Amino acid sequence: MNQMSETRKFTEDILATANAKSQTIITKAENERQQLLDEARKNINREAAEITRNAEADAEGVKRREISEVRHRVKLREELEKDKVLTDVLNETKKKVHEIVNDKNKYSAYLVRLVTDSIRQLGMQSVRVHLSAEDLKNIDITALVREVTSAVKTPTKIEVAKDPVTTSGGVVVSSPDDKIRIVNTFEQRFEALEPKLLIEAGRLLFRDYS
Amino acid sequence: MSGLEIVKIIVDSEKEAGNILVQAEARALEIRKQLDDIVLREREEKLSTAKREATSTVQKAEMQGKSEALQYEKESEIRIKVLIQNASAKKNSAVKALSDMILI
Repeated sequence: MNQMSETRKFTEDILATANAKSQTIITKAENERQQLLDEARKNINREAAEITRNAEADAEGVKRREISEVRHRVKLREELEKDKVLTDVLNETKKKVHEIVNDKNKYSAYLVRLVTDSIRQLGMQSVRVHLSAEDLKNIDITALVREVTSAVKTPTKIEVAKDPVTTSGGVVVSSPDDKIRIVNTFEQRFEALEPKLLIEAGRLLFRDYS
Repeated sequence: MSGLEIVKIIVDSEKEAGNILVQAEARALEIRKQLDDIVLREREEKLSTAKREATSTVQKAEMQGKSEALQYEKESEIRIKVLIQNASAKKNSAVKALSDMILI
């Protein structure tokens, strides 16, 4: 009887030990799984966060691009409209300047100023004045020379060339040998002043909107 | 109980103990194997949700951008119209000023 009970106890111990070991193995496996799962979840969350971050950056870029495209388009349109007005104003200015030719008194006074300035720029005592064919026909040359001589205030020999220059108005003043020329025709003045005219026109027309 | 019977009982219980351990190892293996499936499923779910939300975020931003751009364009149209109207009103005085610059 005693022998049997000892044997049962012995076998019970063997099984209890096996069960305990079994539980340890399973618990260890579960713990490992949980640890690996936690690590994997961290990585998954990192990946998801990266996707979200990239999407936010993309979204910002998409939005910025939409607005920037329209801003660029609007800016071009604005420049185009401004350009039209500026071109129109410059063309009107050319017309208005050419109209002075029809007002004999105003135009003669203008030519006197122009020739006087040109002689001063040239700094010579003897000069040749070149006019357009129209001006040679319509302007009182004697009066022009007289008024210029008086305006220059230094003794200057003024000769008016008989050959006309091709221009719609204004004057070319040269040295007697024609080697040095001050060109003050309308066309040249427009060309020389165009950058300034554009700046001034822009200032006058759009100064409240710059 | 004879000695032989005792030895048999002990050998049987050792066998049973061995079986218990084998089963435990099999269960542990199964537990570890489950990990891959769980990770794969959770990753797929989480990333697919994130991608869906990302697409929606970008689409929303695009729509918002288009709407803001449209509003800006409308406002600019009006601003340019006013700008040109005001400039046109100043045209004659500008032509006079520019002519004066040319005519000294």
